Amino acid sequence: MSNHDNTPLSSAHHEEEDTPAVSSSKAGFLPIETNWFDRLFISVVIWVALSLLWFRFIEPMGLSIWISNAIALALAVLIISKG
Amino acid sequence: MKKNNPIIAIVFWSLVSFLTLFPIYWLFVISVKPAVQLFSTPDVILSDPYWGNYAKVWGDRLLRSYMVNSLVISTGNALLCTILGFFACYALSRFKMAGKESLFFWTITNRMAPPAVFLLPLFLLMTQVYAVGDFRLLDTRIGMILVYCTFNLPFAIWTLRPTLDGIPKELDEAAYVDGASSWKVITEIVFPLCRPGLAVTLILTWVFAWNEYLLAATLTNFNARTLTTGLSEYVTTTGTEWGIMATISVFTLIPALIVFGLVQKHIVAGLTFGAVKG
Amino acid sequence: MQSNRLGWILLAPTLAILFFFGVLPFIYVVYVSFHQWNPFAADPHMIFNGADNFRKIVFDAEFLNSVGVTVLFVLFAVISELVVGYILAQAFMKEFPGKAIFRTIHTLPLIMAPIIVGSVWKLMMTPSIGIIPHYLNEWFGITVNIGTSPVAAFTTIIIMDIWHWTPLVTLTLIAALVSLPPDPFEQAQIDGANKRQIFFHITVPMIAPAVVATVFIRLMDALRTVDEVWMLTGGGPGSATRFVGVHIFKEVFPKTNYGYGSTISVIVLYLTIVACWLLYVTMLAPRNKKD
Repeated sequence: MSNHDNTPLSSAHHEEEDTPAVSSSKAGFLPIETNWFDRLFISVVIWVALSLLWFRFIEPMGLSIWISNAIALALAVLIISKG
Repeated sequence: MKKNNPIIAIVFWSLVSFLTLFPIYWLFVISVKPAVQLFSTPDVILSDPYWGNYAKVWGDRLLRSYMVNSLVISTGNALLCTILGFFACYALSRFKMAGKESLFFWTITNRMAPPAVFLLPLFLLMTQVYAVGDFRLLDTRIGMILVYCTFNLPFAIWTLRPTLDGIPKELDEAAYVDGASSWKVITEIVFPLCRPGLAVTLILTWVFAWNEYLLAATLTNFNARTLTTGLSEYVTTTGTEWGIMATISVFTLIPALIVFGLVQKHIVAGLTFGAVKG
Repeated sequence: MQSNRLGWILLAPTLAILFFFGVLPFIYVVYVSFHQWNPFAADPHMIFNGADNFRKIVFDAEFLNSVGVTVLFVLFAVISELVVGYILAQAFMKEFPGKAIFRTIHTLPLIMAPIIVGSVWKLMMTPSIGIIPHYLNEWFGITVNIGTSPVAAFTTIIIMDIWHWTPLVTLTLIAALVSLPPDPFEQAQIDGANKRQIFFHITVPMIAPAVVATVFIRLMDALRTVDEVWMLTGGGPGSATRFVGVHIFKEVFPKTNYGYGSTISVIVLYLTIVACWLLYVTMLAPRNKKD
């Protein structure tokens, strides 16, 4: 047990002002400040939405769902690295 | 500010109160009418109440066991959630743990999810996975107590967090310096100071558990059925016995009303779910 | 002595319960949604069928209809509750005798179980015994039948929801209005601003955070409305009031098509999370700017 861990949270009284816990926040091209978890979440949301729309409108035309997955993956990489 | 005529305000609020109270009053009217009178011209004024429905509901052994189930489940759940929520909030407010704010937020999201979504997986898990030998969690009181934690435990954490953050940590530290154990600090110093917050949490979680219907209707079939599910049985299976249905409603309503009277002032802060804070 | 280990020990039971009854069911339902599974069919085993369930759901007219009905309900209910709640909150800002009693009465519906609210309104609205259809017919000659008219059923549910949940909106808005500082209002009056200008340029921006928070709570609750609707209309007539929660309750269990039912659950959860998350972000964005 190092001494460091033993310090109770000093700002316990001000929970409203707490910064996000994952503190690698940075400003990317997204309109809000995000950490990597937020960006992963956004990517998953986009992936699901894209897949559902693809099933409904594009797959009947003969284009495979894998194309949509590839697009979603590319978007995810972009968002997580640059977002 | 300009002076207002109090008469207008009183008339306005009497009207609003009438609209609020009338449905509840009507519930009571139906519950004290014999079945034959139900279909005549609806009378607003109550005359010659008939208590047969109450005698019938009270005398029904099945419904009485539902009442006991409801009481056991909501009391057990409220106690469990308040105590665990208290421990969790103590940990969240006193220790510097990695990612605890994320943990706090994702705990709360448990309450946001629509319960309908969890009906099927909980049903499947409780019939097939959460089992010891022949014992299944489905249709048991302990099972329902645990299931209700999914929405009540996040709520307890949400409401208790400000209470615990509000207790100066210097108190803990002073006690530690005096050589008290952690257990002693938590139970003998922090716990008594939290009592008002704990009481409100206990009562609100109790009301939520008491009022729950959807999960109880799906995850119980006989042994652990609650009063709210008993209510719907009189609608779907027997061609609706209106008087009985109204009477069970009154029976379900009264405990919540009593409890509401006890913490009327604080209930608002809890129900608004911390919305106004900060 | 006061180590992080103790912190985790104190948190452990909470996390364990939430894991077994919240997280695990979620993972499980996602897993099942990729399978074809009907335990009571000739082949009761789970068969992996890729994304076929998801292919099916985007063309499922009943499900899409239930999503549409839910969105319509949420919009109508939440907006009406905000307007009525604001008017009532403003009315509470004045002093008058008996204010405390009126406020207590106004709070009453909040603690009623949704299923009781449903049965109360059923008792009032059912054509044969209800008082409202009776007098509407006798005094105005209007026939209301929630059993046959989709519009009547839908409207009744919205009115019921307003009756049940407006008090919550009123209370949060009162709390917001009480905490407003008086200076900007006095200054505006000195500057000769009219009521409308004061409302739009001072009141609205200042209570906006509370309003967003209230909408957030109401949106979550409205999306999960099942009990009272189930009691009042059972999702009918037809599918006029079959909200997504009712749809799951009514379709999945009787049909025992667990694979497809899981898919419905996953999509509903997805839509709810996205809706709430978007609102949460808009709620937090202005706060973050302040830092």
